[in-house]
Formats: sequence, C-alpha cells, structure tokens
Amino acid sequence: MDKFLTFTVVGLSTSAIYAIAASGLVVTYTTSGIFNFAHGAIGMMAAFTYWQVHVSWGVPTWPAFFLVVFVIAPLFGAGIERFIMRGIEGAQEVVKIVVTVSLMVALIFIALWIWPEDQARPIGALVDTGQLRIAGVTLTGQRLFTIGVAVLVAIVLRFILRGTRLGIAMRAVVDDRSLLQLNGGRPGRTSMLSWALGASLAAVSGVLLAAENAPSVIPLTLLVVNAYAAAVVGRLKSLPGAFLGAVILGLSVSYVGAYMPSDAAIGPIALGNLTQAVPAIMLFVVIMLQPQVSLRAHSLDRVRKPMPIPSQRLALIGGAILIAAVAAIGSLMAAPDQGTMLKGFGFAIATLSLVPLTGYSGQISLSQLTFTGIGAVVMASWGASGNLLWVFVAVAICAAVGALIAIPAMRLSGIYLALATAAFGLFCYWMVFQQQDVMTGGTANVPRTTIGPIEVTSSYGQLVVLAIAFAVMANLLVALRRSSWGRRLTAMRDSPVACATLGLNLLSTKVGVFALSAAIAGAGGALAGRTFVVDEFGLDQSLPITMLAVVGGIGSVGGALLGGLLLGAQPIATTLLAANAIGIFGFASASVSQVLSVMPGFMGISLGRNPDGAAAEIGEAYRDFSRSTSAIVAAVAAAGALWYAARVDIIESWGFFAAMVALAFGVLPVLPAVLPPPGTQRVGRTVPTAIWLVLALVITAVIPWEEVTSSNGFRLLLVLVWASLVAGTSMGVLGVNPTPRRIESGPSPDEIGLGEPLSRAEALEAASVVGVEEAALAMPTADALAAMGTLTDGAGTSPSANGNSGSGTPRNGGGVSGTEPGATGASLR
Amino acid sequence: MSLLETSGVTVRFGGHQALSDVSVTVEPGRIVGLIGPNGAGKTTLFNAICGVIAPTAGTVKIQDRDVSRLATHKRARLGLGRTFQRLEVFASLSVADNIRAGLEIRQTWSRRGGSPPQFLAPAGGSDIPPEAEVSLILDRLGLGELASVSVGSLPTGQARLVELGRALAARPSVLLLDEPASGLDDTETEEFGVLLTDLASAGLGILLVEHDVGLVMQVCSDIYVLDFGQVIAHGDPDTVRANEAVVAAYLGAG
Repeated sequence: MDKFLTFTVVGLSTSAIYAIAASGLVVTYTTSGIFNFAHGAIGMMAAFTYWQVHVSWGVPTWPAFFLVVFVIAPLFGAGIERFIMRGIEGAQEVVKIVVTVSLMVALIFIALWIWPEDQARPIGALVDTGQLRIAGVTLTGQRLFTIGVAVLVAIVLRFILRGTRLGIAMRAVVDDRSLLQLNGGRPGRTSMLSWALGASLAAVSGVLLAAENAPSVIPLTLLVVNAYAAAVVGRLKSLPGAFLGAVILGLSVSYVGAYMPSDAAIGPIALGNLTQAVPAIMLFVVIMLQPQVSLRAHSLDRVRKPMPIPSQRLALIGGAILIAAVAAIGSLMAAPDQGTMLKGFGFAIATLSLVPLTGYSGQISLSQLTFTGIGAVVMASWGASGNLLWVFVAVAICAAVGALIAIPAMRLSGIYLALATAAFGLFCYWMVFQQQDVMTGGTANVPRTTIGPIEVTSSYGQLVVLAIAFAVMANLLVALRRSSWGRRLTAMRDSPVACATLGLNLLSTKVGVFALSAAIAGAGGALAGRTFVVDEFGLDQSLPITMLAVVGGIGSVGGALLGGLLLGAQPIATTLLAANAIGIFGFASASVSQVLSVMPGFMGISLGRNPDGAAAEIGEAYRDFSRSTSAIVAAVAAAGALWYAARVDIIESWGFFAAMVALAFGVLPVLPAVLPPPGTQRVGRTVPTAIWLVLALVITAVIPWEEVTSSNGFRLLLVLVWASLVAGTSMGVLGVNPTPRRIESGPSPDEIGLGEPLSRAEALEAASVVGVEEAALAMPTADALAAMGTLTDGAGTSPSANGNSGSGTPRNGGGVSGTEPGATGASLR
Repeated sequence: MSLLETSGVTVRFGGHQALSDVSVTVEPGRIVGLIGPNGAGKTTLFNAICGVIAPTAGTVKIQDRDVSRLATHKRARLGLGRTFQRLEVFASLSVADNIRAGLEIRQTWSRRGGSPPQFLAPAGGSDIPPEAEVSLILDRLGLGELASVSVGSLPTGQARLVELGRALAARPSVLLLDEPASGLDDTETEEFGVLLTDLASAGLGILLVEHDVGLVMQVCSDIYVLDFGQVIAHGDPDTVRANEAVVAAYLGAG
C-alpha cells in the first residue's frame, strides 16, 4: 500500500510538470493557432539558462528562478512571436508545423553549442528539505513543491483567461483575429503576450523537470511529446482537459514503472521499454478517439502559386546528370566520405518520399524514417543475400504498414495527423526497433544490393545504386504528377470537400498515397547497404527530414534532393571543417561546424518569408538553362572534361571541386544568354562571354588550391567567394541581365504605348481613376474596352501602368491583358 | 420521380437552430430557386444535402433513394453535383485541369462512357473521348481561351464558372449552385441565365441559391424563400413576389 501511495505521489508530481507544459502549449495554440513543436525546446533552453545563472554564476535560487521564468523566458517567447510566427500567419498548415519544428532543431543545436554535453549540469532541488515522511509515504519537498506550482498555475491561468481583459482578448483572437482588430483590439499584442506566457510556462516545466534529473538536451526537448499527449485530451483547447490528461499520463507512467517487471513480455515481445512508450501510446489512442474533422474546415488562406511541373524530358536529363555526377564525384572520394554520401542519399530518398505525400497531396508525416527503418530491418533480417527481390519485398511490407497506419490516421488532418504520425514513430522506436529480435545489439546490417549476376561490393558501388534508385523514383514521381492520379492528389490538397462532392473517395486516395510514400522511404532503407544503429530511427532524426523537405521546396523532386543532401552532406562539411575552429563569424568559440549544424534550423525558420522553399528560388535562376538543349550539352561536356582531367591527374581534386562549384553557380545561370533556349534570342556580348566562361573554368581548375591555404574550411570559403566572383564577372562581360528576351508573338504591347501588358491590379487602379466598374473589367467586353479607351493617356502616364517587372511574358491577371490583344490595341489606339 | 427531395431537414449547431423542418423538392428539367437573407441557412441546407454536415433530423432522398446515411462521395456518385459559395477551386491547377480532374474523378467510379450530356452535344451523337468532353465543357462555358490559365489567378466570376464546369464534368443529374452568378456582370449574367435554362432543358434538376433576384425570377419555375432556417414561402415567381412575409423579410419595398 505504501508503495502504491508513494508512486501515486511520484506520478502526481510528474503529472504536475506535464500539466504545466501542456497548459503552455494550449495557451499559445488557442491564441495564435500555431502548435508549438519547440515548446519543449524552450523549456530545455530555460533549464540550461537557469543552470548558467544559478550554478555557474552563483546567483541564489529564487532570484535566478524569477529571472529565468519571469524575465528571460517571456522576452524570448515574445521575440519568437514578433520575429518568426507573425510572418507565417495564414500560411499552409505544413509550413506552420515546419517552422516550429525548425525552431526546435535550431534550439537543440544552439544548446549543444553553448552547453556541450561534456559534463553533467545538475541544478539541484529548488526546495531542499531532504526526505519527508507523511502518512507513511516517503517523498521529497521538491515533489510537493512541484505539485503546488501546478495548482498555482491552474488558478492563475483560470484567473487570467476568465477574469481579465487580456484573457478575453486572448480567447477572442482564436475566434476571429480580424474581427478583434475591427473592434479595436490589438491581436498582435495579444498574440505576443500569449507567446510570452507560453514560454514562461515552458520554462517553469523545464526547470522543474531539470530539478529532478540534471538537464539533458534531447530528453528535455522531447518532454513536449508528453505535453502533447496531455493537451490532446483537452483537444488542444481546454485547460482542464489538459490537466486531466497530464494526471492520467503521469500516473500511468509511474505505475507502469513501478509494477511492470523489467523482463515482462507478451510472447516474444519484450515490454521493457513500455514506460517510455506510454506517452506515444496515449497520444495515439486519444487522437484516434477524436471525432472526424469536418470537411468544411477548409480555407485557402494564401493564394497558392501554381507549382511548376518539370517536363519528363527534363526529369530524365536531371536523373542522368545525377547518376553521372555521383559516379564521377564518388570515384574521387575517399572511402569514409563515400560512406557519408551513402547516408546522405538515404536521407535524400526519405525526403523524396514526402514529395507525393506532403507536396502533391498536402498530408503531413513526421516519421518517415520509421519506414526507412522497417525497410532496413526487413532487408537485414531476411534479405541478407542482398537480392533485389528482397528489396521489393521490404518495400511492399513498408507500403502495407503505411496503408495500415493511414486507415485510422486519415480521418485526421493538419496538426492531429502530424501528431499521430509522430506518435507512431515514437511507438516503433521504443517498442519495435528496441526489440532484440528486431535489431540485435541495436544495429541492423543492411547488405549491399545484388542485382541478378551483378554483386555490389563497395560503398562506391552502392552509392551509384542509390543514385540510380533516386533518379528512377524521382522520374516516376514526375510522371505521377502529370498523370490522372497526380492531378487528383493535387485536387485533393487544394479542396478536399470539392473532391468529395465530385465522388472521390478521399479515404482510399489518402491510403494509396500514404502507402506509396512509405514504400519510397522503405526503399531508402532496403537499399542503404550500410549498418544502421537504432538511434537513427528516433523522432529527433525524422523531424529534420520533414523540415528539410519543406525547406528544399516541398512538391519538387529537386527540392527533395537538395533537402536530403543538405542533411546528408552536413556531416561531410562538418568532417571537412571540424579541425578548423577559425572563428570567422567572430563568436568566441564559434567553429564552422557548429554554425553549419544550426543553419538548417534557421533556413526552416526563414520559410515564413519564402513558403515555396529554396528549390523554387534556385529553380528560377536555372529555368532558362534547363530549357536550352545546347546549354545542357555544353555544361555536361564541360563537367565531363573536368572529371577526365581530374581522373588522369591533370588537375587536383580540389581544382575539380572548385571548377564544379564555379560551373554550377558562375557559369550555368549565364549560359543560356550565349546558348539560348528555343524561342528566345541571344542577348549581350555573347562571343567575349563564351570565351570568358571557358577561360574562367580552366583558371579555376588549375589554381593550386591545396597550396593557397592549409585549412580546409578556409579553402572551401575561398572556393565559394571565387565562384561568386566568376558569376559577377560573367555578368559584367555579358553586359546585360542574362535572362534572354522572349520573341513576342502577336502585337507587342509597345505598340499601344504601354511598357508591358497591364496586370489586373493595374487595370483596376486605372479604371478607378475614370470610374469603370470592376465587373466591367472581369471579362473584357467591347463596352468595357471602349470605356478603357477613354483613358489611353491616363494609363500611359500612370506610373504603375508603365510597369517595371523584368519579365516580358504577359501576366494572366484575367484583366485586360491576355484576351483579344488585337481588339485591345484597336480600341486603345 | 423527383431527383432530389428533402423532408423535415433540421440542423442545430449547439443552441442555434440553423434549419428547422425544411422540405424542398427538385424535379428533372426544373430550376428551383432558394432565396433568403444572409444567414437564412441556404448554404447549410446545401451542406446537409450533400452530406458535409449531418442533419439533426430529417431525410434527404436522391432519385427516391434515401441517402441520409451515405458519405458525401457516395451521394455524388448517385448524381448529385454542387458548387460553393466560398470558392473551392483547385487553385494550383489550370482551368482545363480543373475540368479534367472533375472528369477523371468521375472515371474512378463510373466507367460508363456513353454519349455526352445533351447540353454539350444537342444532336446526341456517339461516345466522345474525355479530352473532347473537356473542351466541349470549356467552350460551352466560354472558358476556352483561358484553358491554360491557373485558376488561382482568375477573378471570382470566372472561377465560379470553372466550379460549375467541374461539377458538370461529373455528369450530375441534379446540381446545387451556390451563388454562381456573383462576380458576373450584367451581360455575363444574362448569358449565364441562358446556360442554366439549357441545362434544365437537357433534363438536369437545379437548385439555385442566388442573390440576384432578377435572375432567379427569370429562370426559376419554383422558388423557396428561407428566413431564420425556415421556409416562409414557396411557389412560382409571381406568388413569391406577392407574398407579404417575403417582401418584409427579404425583397424589401422595391
């Protein structure tokens, strides 16, 4: 009985911490509509800050506690709201999720940077009373204090939300932000206050948890999962619900830990890790009990840019270039680097698996590496020969598991779906991959692939196999996007309710795409050809995959490659630079590798500014290049010549690397000016430019980079600076913007006295000057055009009508441009 | 046989009675108007008919079959099509792809090729390939020139036409149109009225929610007036126009 009471009190004190964390989540979610995945990370930062202030600087307990909880944490929370979250208001759900995931990743690395895990940092109990015995139960004053804080938090929150103007405004923001504004409320300020309050609550929970065990970065960050599990009981909106959830969770964890023998098992399944899996199980069960999301809950907030679909031809060329490039670069690499590349390609394939799921059909998964893990385990356990047939079996199993998970999860959308996949990933990590029968000794040795008579025997060979697999799957995905099914997936993303009213079975469509996605991720595991350790399948590993898929540019296979390689190449860059703590960024001890590890997180955070992802932006610069066959041939020939020169040792490998960088960033964007795509003209001084480009590549290749500096990191920086110099000089030699001018078909807008066709907004502005109704402009009827005719002078001299956009293509604003140019010309002349 | 029949449909959101005991009937070849002030429950009725929300009470029948318990997509497969008051276009697809997607979704549940609907090819004619059907629909709605334009960049009026075209691509037998003419100018509204009449004479039943009372009076043979979730009047245009309650609630003294 004493044992039961003791563990009840222990459970309640754990519950108290979960409840405080969960109430912070609820406060920010209800007021800003953003589910903060970085909530645990903020608590983690607070715990370490407390250690810094209290233990390291010697500030007494209570001043330090107040400083962290009531000053630093609220300021931090308010700053996050002001500078990050306000930018993503109204963005797609997936962007909102990824931005906070990115914040979490960035905070993890910042914490590891400031407080490296080279020593334990215990912060000690806040209330030190030693052991107490109350009614036969032995416990510490710290535990009683924790429970007391939770009760206090509950009372204070109730008072704030029910009894103050601030609380009422907070609740109003959720209902309708713009309405609150109309009535004189200031949603920005309210939202900021709620983030400050949320961060403060995260800080309390973080410090309290750290007072029990010395703070540690990942466990404290993942505290957030327990907070989710508690918060979903209140459907993420109700504070009493969150407290109830926290009590259930805290007691279950405590009782399971107390009464479950460590060698308990059901048949062959060991239950030793059940304690850790309890939050995931509870999260999953509670989410499954949620009522179906209503189909109406749909709003297209921001106007979506149509996603450019690459042509199959371009995808084929891209695939061939990728395989050739990997074969060429890999052959020049040392074996350890090849191993790292192998890992990078595994990530790239996992990222690719999100293209159909998140990019095409708008569903979110946070645990793609779980499927990679299943693929790897199946291959390691049964397909030890590496036979390609087993790869297909592994892929099929992943698809089946994916479909099975999808059936219950697919009733959900947005944040609930994201949480359900996270719970699935955590569950598999603790209850599947940790089983000794599944991953013996915590490793899975995936054999290299055997394709019929061809047996791959080296990392290099496996690397080429992975490159081929990536290229093939990427091509299939491009074909899929152009197919009828791909159109349906896009349609379902844009408007699920419209699809349903056309007769589409949303459930089976979603299950199908989920299975496809799981199959692709599984292929990445089955073809990995290396040994996995169990920690590679943790949630903290999966989250960056989703993040980078979105950062790279969700929905584009190029973005997946970019995102995956970024993640994969980071270890390469890190090993390359590890020895070079050159401090170029001026931080006291900032090494390049640390800066690099923080960067992806910040790139994700910057999504708020560019929700289409980096690939779209980069793609813009290379668009003309990709259209010009002659330019592609020239670039491939140049790359081939450089590779050959490196192979036969005419140039050093660093010269090859530098020339490839210069080719990619300095030459390719300029090349279409010299070798224009069909339908465009050459522009600028083409002959000198062509000569300069060749010369620049040769100079780059023969510079003895190894002798310039002995520091790898500094050399890499030099190469990048050099490449941008080459790009700048090329532009200078060319003399104009390298985008070739389109050859106009039909009458040029110049003929009617305008710099370019009017956009709709411009037409409306002009129309408002002379009082033409908008409706008259919607479809340019003869009457409307006649009305427009009276303002030829006005439109011609209006600054907005003259336009200054660089593009010469007519914009399809649906206004006067685009339709019947002849008639427009006639009536305006 | 009526194409669509609701009887006693009641919808309650918490304490708010959005619809009470609403019964409407749509016969083949008829355009039925549904008018009333904002918030009267018109869109709620549409949502209840196509299964996006579950009514608290009442039944919905499509071609005399009780569909009250069927999912949205299954009702669609029985010939129910609709457009939306708040646009639900596939914004990242082109105009033609929107229609094409509608047609391809139909092909997932109906392999039946068959001759095109009468309003597309009045002469009847033989089986046509899907692509031809897409361009027939585009031409019929006057969207031919905009085929490759992204729908996200279209003005509202034309985007509504795209929604209609998409619904037509599923070859419905009864069509729910939620303010299809808002965003169209006078000339376009007139053309749109002709289109509606053509659709009806090809045998479709149409339930039309529209604020342009002129259009409703012109094309509808039968009008229901909703106010505070209740049918306050029902009859042909002249009856409704003469009804004092309707004038007070909606039409005004004009």
